[in-house]
Amino acid sequence: MFVAPGVPRPHYEKVLQGIGRLAPAEYEDRRQLADLSFLLQGITFTVYSDGRGTERLFPFDLMPRVLPRAEWDRLEAGLSQRVLALNHFLQDIYGPQRILADRKIPRSLVLSCKHYLREMIGVKVPRNIHTHISGIDLVRDSKTGDYLVLEDNVRTPSGISYVLENRLVMTRTFSKVFEVCEVLPIDQYPIELSNILRSLAPRGTGNPVVVLLTPGIYNSAYFEHSFLAQQMGIELVEGRDLVVDNDIVYMKTIRGLTRVDVIYRRIDDEFIDPLAFRRDSLLGVSGLMGAYRAGNIALANAIGNGVADDKAIYAYVPEFIKYYLDQTPLLRNVDTYLCSKPDHLKYVLEHLDELVVKAVGESGGYGMLMGPSASKEKIADFRAKLQQDPRNYIAQPVIGLSRCPALDPRTGRMAGRHVDLRPYCLFNGEKVIIVPGGLTRVALEPGSLIVNSSQGGGSKDTWVLRGET
Amino acid sequence: MPVAERMLSRIAESLFWMARYMERAEDTARILDVNYHMLLEQSQQTYRLRWEPLVNISGEQERFFKLYSMATTKTVFEFLGFHEDNPNSIAQCIYRARENARTIRDRISREMWQDINSLYHMVSKFNPADEIAVGPHRFCSTIKYGSHRFHGVSDDTLPHDEGWQFLQLGRALERAEMTARIVDVEYHNLVESRDPDEKPDNHQWMAVLKSVAAYEIYRRQYHSRIDPMCVAELLILHPQHPRSIRFNIATIQNSLRAISGTNPGSYSNEAERLTGKLYESLMYDRIEEIFERGLHTFLTGVQTTCRQIGYQIARTYFYY
Repeated sequence: MFVAPGVPRPHYEKVLQGIGRLAPAEYEDRRQLADLSFLLQGITFTVYSDGRGTERLFPFDLMPRVLPRAEWDRLEAGLSQRVLALNHFLQDIYGPQRILADRKIPRSLVLSCKHYLREMIGVKVPRNIHTHISGIDLVRDSKTGDYLVLEDNVRTPSGISYVLENRLVMTRTFSKVFEVCEVLPIDQYPIELSNILRSLAPRGTGNPVVVLLTPGIYNSAYFEHSFLAQQMGIELVEGRDLVVDNDIVYMKTIRGLTRVDVIYRRIDDEFIDPLAFRRDSLLGVSGLMGAYRAGNIALANAIGNGVADDKAIYAYVPEFIKYYLDQTPLLRNVDTYLCSKPDHLKYVLEHLDELVVKAVGESGGYGMLMGPSASKEKIADFRAKLQQDPRNYIAQPVIGLSRCPALDPRTGRMAGRHVDLRPYCLFNGEKVIIVPGGLTRVALEPGSLIVNSSQGGGSKDTWVLRGET
Repeated sequence: MPVAERMLSRIAESLFWMARYMERAEDTARILDVNYHMLLEQSQQTYRLRWEPLVNISGEQERFFKLYSMATTKTVFEFLGFHEDNPNSIAQCIYRARENARTIRDRISREMWQDINSLYHMVSKFNPADEIAVGPHRFCSTIKYGSHRFHGVSDDTLPHDEGWQFLQLGRALERAEMTARIVDVEYHNLVESRDPDEKPDNHQWMAVLKSVAAYEIYRRQYHSRIDPMCVAELLILHPQHPRSIRFNIATIQNSLRAISGTNPGSYSNEAERLTGKLYESLMYDRIEEIFERGLHTFLTGVQTTCRQIGYQIARTYFYY
């Protein structure tokens, strides 16, 4: 944020004048107001460890992260390209499988992915869209200043509600700053998403019934599900509200059954239909897969997308961009070692204490080894796992994440903290629509690189400024 | 105008129960508060006599005496106000009203959700020991005003469509049943269990009236000193008092008809038939006739019918 001590980067100047120079007491007042607003709106997550269910706030840092317009325009182009390529890949891999025939990615790597679902082979999805919503995680390398893609989340990415609510709280808390800063708006997201969902209806009906399928109030993203349903004006349903009869999906209303056309589902593939996948799932809808295959219901995102955000397959996304779009990738990947390749595995085993090791099918910081900070036991544990099941792991060098100023609640001072960025990309079948900015997650502990909310992470509002092209 | 989508059964059920729990919390708070204040002016003797009927009104005698040996200010307030093992304690009712709101927060207005959510947080912050030390007034006022605000916000921010009708049903059904129980228990306690020659206890009848916000209206309507039969008449048969049984059965009838679109003079489901039948008797019976047949029998009948109406509403609209 600063080019030299006390000299801010130009795009931060106005923000600093408005927010950075507030007296600590005043800043604290505003922070408490913002927290109260999150609490009263119930934007909380529940910790059940004490048996009663205690509600906690996601820590929110008031100092926004600012992206210059030119930087954002480059990101947007790179993200669009990536989403298009991922959609092509999914369409291909569940269809003609040209990419396998052309040997651009090892057949065994794709077919061994546990999220590659044979049930999806040959299924014609409405308007050929698989990746309606993608949340692509980016980090900015503090050494080079380049943005790198860390993960593609194309299953059921969450977090957009925090982006929208953070902005709302910021406009209330710092309305004056918005008057001078010209921040690009983001509140069009629910309308854009709603337009895409409505366009998927398999019946040619003018007023399709679109619903959002949630696992229910005990899901950690429940707030987001209800928020989006309300913002889009669609019904929020649970599995028990739906029934499938003769490959048609209905919802149970006070006047009997009503046909459903489109489901924005926030339940994972494996739980969505106990007849097709996990039999013990109480969250899903029996027979949904049959209705989907019969073309009577549209699902967003499509089933089987997990094969595209598998962390081993991730390494091939730049290849997808060249193969399907005939373009040079605009956004780089983080260098990735595939443990399924013997020479890569050898290198990884020799450098475990320097690398980050990740299980390919996991997300949210689970199944991870942070080499430089891990104990000897944990490294030995991962060494054994890697040798046992190399396909299940990848390794990457530790990226020095870029930093943004955040308030340290202990000292009451601003200090640099590591951040990442998750923009939300919508695909309407023709082009990719991205609301400017995204979710900035921040590691609130000094020096920490872990931004996950379960481990001391918080969030910030992300501003793309209009003027700075 | 485009036609609104049909309401999910689960959402109708949550609206109904949200209103019902909110009403149960308010009614319990009213009874506690008023009785406490009356007792401040009473002797130690009546003191002990007066707390037990409150437990009876809540219908939780058995659970109460498993937890406590005696009904005192402290035990009754703790039990009705906060106890986690009493599913009908005020704190539990607010918790459940809010859980119902949470499952349908996309369908209620933002204002309603924030209101019920902030009430919940306020109630969770109360420390039972502190409240018991200062007496129930502060806590009960919070609940009472919280409930009033909730209904005000609902009326002003929610479209008065069928979802709103389910809110009315939940509130009116709970209130009708609660008023029936209050009159039943108090009449037994203050009249039947006493020496017939003893004069009615003005103080205690005033408390009953105040607990259902009916003291002022009683004064204007009857002018006389307090006569138990007049109190019963007001609380059972008054056409306009919002806590009388008749008023609430009328509300149920109107809401059921609004939901089903049935014309007056006919019925389209069992809930409407039962409601209509009860309403007829409340409209045409005189209080003297009710007393001749036996007040207790009549009020027990009202409570049974209310439970049946609740069951039939669920059968018609919630179970699928």
